[in-house]
Amino acid sequence: MHSCLRNEVMIMDVCIAEMTSYTYAVKGERLLRSRGYKCKVTRKDKNSGGGCGYQLNIYGHCREAAALLERYAIPYRTLSDGGA
Amino acid sequence: MINFDNAATTFPKPLSVRRAVSEAVKRYGGNAGRGGHRLAMAASEALYSARETAAEFFGAEPENVVFTMNCTYALNMAIQGVMSGGGHLIISGLEHNSSARPAAAMAMKKRISLSIAEVYPEDERTIESFRSLMREDTKAVVCTLASNVTGQITPYREIGELCRERGICFIADGAQACGVLDVKLSDGINILCTAGHKRLYGITGTGLLITDGRYPISPIIQGGTGSASLSLIQPDILPDSLESGTPNITGAMSVKAGIDFVRSRGLRKIYSHESRICSRFMAELDDDITVYRHPCGEYVPIVSFNVRDIPSERAAAYLAEKGYCLRAGFHCAALAHASLGTKNGTVRFAPSVFSKEEDAVRLAEEIRSMKKI
Repeated sequence: MHSCLRNEVMIMDVCIAEMTSYTYAVKGERLLRSRGYKCKVTRKDKNSGGGCGYQLNIYGHCREAAALLERYAIPYRTLSDGGA
Repeated sequence: MINFDNAATTFPKPLSVRRAVSEAVKRYGGNAGRGGHRLAMAASEALYSARETAAEFFGAEPENVVFTMNCTYALNMAIQGVMSGGGHLIISGLEHNSSARPAAAMAMKKRISLSIAEVYPEDERTIESFRSLMREDTKAVVCTLASNVTGQITPYREIGELCRERGICFIADGAQACGVLDVKLSDGINILCTAGHKRLYGITGTGLLITDGRYPISPIIQGGTGSASLSLIQPDILPDSLESGTPNITGAMSVKAGIDFVRSRGLRKIYSHESRICSRFMAELDDDITVYRHPCGEYVPIVSFNVRDIPSERAAAYLAEKGYCLRAGFHCAALAHASLGTKNGTVRFAPSVFSKEEDAVRLAEEIRSMKKI
């Protein structure tokens, strides 16, 4: 699992990828899990940007995770900080 | 009752499929892709797993697997969707009406121009027939992988290669081939349409459209997809763009179980078993029975025949009285029957993985003893 050290305490990054479809959300989840990321598909927290749908909650380095999604052509709408 | 009408839909279904259907009805009561609660998520996950299974089986990506109501829907979506901007379309002379009718309807409305490529017993002649019809404005080719009337296997890999060289979209009808032949998108197929309920052993009301994503398919049906709900414009990403409305989750789970069944049995074994039954059946027939096969041709396990000059429907009705289910008539394939010159149609024998050779032998006995009826 990817994590980072902040002030000597293990704190995980959490980010939320708003996905274009449920199918891509699961595909992204499978990909990231296979690379050691902990992540979970849930219904979108906020009905922003086009209406309802699904998000991928990623616990780990967001930029790396996003780069992986992009490398495997898994589209997402937005990537936001979900708080640590 | 002995069923030899498995080219229409397979029956019986494997136990694993029946269990999957029962399980789906019991467990997947939510609406896939339409909610975040436990029931909806369980249904969504189940549907995705079915998508993954089909994708792996046909060499595709899961998001490029679209569940449809049947093969006809898949073919209509593919043909109308790819040809929506017009252009030239080639279909084979063996096409089922599920391809021929949408193609003809578009041509009659002058939305496209249409050519029909003759299919011959010899592959080289068939390939040349397609090649000679290809033009600058040819946008797509539709060809069945195997005829639903005679079972003849077309040289689809070569036709796919011709299309690839010319940037033409190759749409394949796999209704009779998928589940007995090892069909993959890498065979040069851009869009594969097939039934879930035939040789993939799913339940009726299931079909698949599987694409490599290279050619955009304009949706012919728009509606709720569970995504981008605030937009009045249909999403353009697959599978959502082609899967409007509540999906058939039970059906998809039956197809998943059916594909798993076919994989566990093995395509080669299934093909060999059914082909052996066809060979034995043909060997048991008298010389005055016309069998619509050519020594040069290759066939999936389907045998079309006529008993002397007895109309096919009468022959099938007679056999039905004896306890055998066979399909007579024109098999929704006007073009194929026109090529065969079968004015009274044919009787079609189509075994499944569950068929027994001794039943085929007994059926042949009944056919031999058939008097003028």
